[in-house]
Amino acid sequence: MVWRVVKERAVHEEGHADRQRWLLGILFITLVLAMLAAAGMGAVHVPLRELAKSVIGNRPLSDDQRTILLAIRLPRIIAAAIVGSALSVSGLLFQGLFRNPLADPYVIGSSGGAVLGASLGVFLVPAVSVAGFGTTALLAFAGAIVSIVLVYWLASADGRTPVVALLLAGFAVSTMLSYSAYFLEVLDRDFGEGMHVLSSWLHGTIAQPTWPQLAIVGTMLAIGLVGSMPLTRRLNTLALGEEYAAHLGVSVQQTRIAVIVIGSILTAAAVALGGLISFVGLIVPHILRMILGPDHVRLLPATALAGALFLLVADTAARTIIAPSELPVGVLTAFIGGPFFLYLLRKARREVLS
Amino acid sequence: MIPLLEFAHVGFGYRNKDLFNNLDAEVFETDCIALVGRNGVGKTTLLRLAAGTLVPNCGDVRLRNKTLRSLKQRDIARSIAFVPQNVEVQFSFTVEQFVEQGRTPFMRMFGALDAADREAIERAMRLTDTWSLRSRVFNQLSGGERQRVKIALGLAQEPRLLLLDEPMQHLDIGRQFEMIDLIDSLRGEGIAILASMHDLTLIEGAFSSVWLLSPGEEMQQGSPHEILRPSVLDSAFNCLPRHRPMLVERTRSRMNQAV
Repeated sequence: MVWRVVKERAVHEEGHADRQRWLLGILFITLVLAMLAAAGMGAVHVPLRELAKSVIGNRPLSDDQRTILLAIRLPRIIAAAIVGSALSVSGLLFQGLFRNPLADPYVIGSSGGAVLGASLGVFLVPAVSVAGFGTTALLAFAGAIVSIVLVYWLASADGRTPVVALLLAGFAVSTMLSYSAYFLEVLDRDFGEGMHVLSSWLHGTIAQPTWPQLAIVGTMLAIGLVGSMPLTRRLNTLALGEEYAAHLGVSVQQTRIAVIVIGSILTAAAVALGGLISFVGLIVPHILRMILGPDHVRLLPATALAGALFLLVADTAARTIIAPSELPVGVLTAFIGGPFFLYLLRKARREVLS
Repeated sequence: MIPLLEFAHVGFGYRNKDLFNNLDAEVFETDCIALVGRNGVGKTTLLRLAAGTLVPNCGDVRLRNKTLRSLKQRDIARSIAFVPQNVEVQFSFTVEQFVEQGRTPFMRMFGALDAADREAIERAMRLTDTWSLRSRVFNQLSGGERQRVKIALGLAQEPRLLLLDEPMQHLDIGRQFEMIDLIDSLRGEGIAILASMHDLTLIEGAFSSVWLLSPGEEMQQGSPHEILRPSVLDSAFNCLPRHRPMLVERTRSRMNQAV
């Protein structure tokens, strides 16, 4: 009897761990393949075969193809992966913190704050230089923190964050902050390059990044991911409510601050490259939760990979479906994410009405 | 003998309402105490003070002679488990994942559950007869199942003292007697129990003593036999005279059974 139970439990546990390992493997391989495929796609077609030959053998690509790949496509592909990963993980963290599956950096307004901060950046310093981009990213981070603290303060009472309050506060703060960015535009008619950057941010277009810019944002993503790791278990405990978590020895206040800081770093990384891209942080964690269950420890690595894959596919679609012109990827994610958001809202409607 | 938990001259109140004034009480290793009193008299507050999640305005709550103020919450949670009345869990955590949270006070920042943790979790679930529920989603359990799973989380903390807030709430009569049996078996495990109770008829026999809170008065302590008397309960619960016969009837019949 005891033996049977022990065996049962082993199978039970292994089933979960197995599933996670498989999923991580599949996601990783798919991500690599998608990156290769995306590299070949676009206005100038680079066949996969030639790409493979240049990597494995010593048959170099033509100069044109090299330039297109190294200076344009590859940075763009990496940027999309970074933005998707950062948005998804910050979505996961905010959902855990707010104990609410509808929290997403776009929905709760931290993206809006980051856009305003970043706009201030391009307004003050030229974004093209490394120092300039660094400043922009830093200001985006500041903007994200300010807005999320504001929304948190507005929306939560007694350690709970009702859906309605969260959505309303997020909507108001986000609209206010992101449109304040337009105000900057009006202030300076000679905004020039800045204006272009700004409008692409508000539409959610992944800009054509330079390698140094990618290095900065990649570092932010790395900090965000490493910083998330010790938080995942505490988010599990926090799902029981703040008071209960506190009783079990979780320092709630400290966790809250850590999640806000890490989540804002990730939001800022995403916004600095891609501006306002909606709903990614909502869709990716939700789908993974259906596969892996709600355990944040398990969800974190899968979310990071799946987010990268999701936005890479979306961005590649956005730049190829109406080639040679481009659709902002934010438009595409809004098309997919909007209905999805409404579906989640309907599922949570009982709580909304209360 | 050092008491497991001691309230020493504890005073506590909320902004516009004083609840306790100079409260003195002790819980020993083998005690099984029922905390009774009318609604809003401070039963849950007293349990929270005992769990260290509320800090008294004056006086001290001591765990084995050490004031709770000087202890980290995670150290308190290794000796005292608080099982709240209502737990709302966000997301569809399974029962097993829920009970695993009871090991939080023992975990390091990056560590995973080790064999000892697993053992404590399984033991807690077997004691509460929730092992068969382990793959179910917590939010989809019935009230009775949920109550037992909450206690399993508390037991996973391997506590010396278990604080139960209204453990009989939402339970049908059959589940209530199961809960009494569970409390009995926990006493057998050497765990002290302090439970707030509404149904006085369930106390006799299952609990070794009773703490009776009445507004504005000192807390009365004694055996169930001493406290569960019409004359005492009458004033504490402020029963109207016409309701009194029922109360007398009910307590008498329980006492007679116990004898």
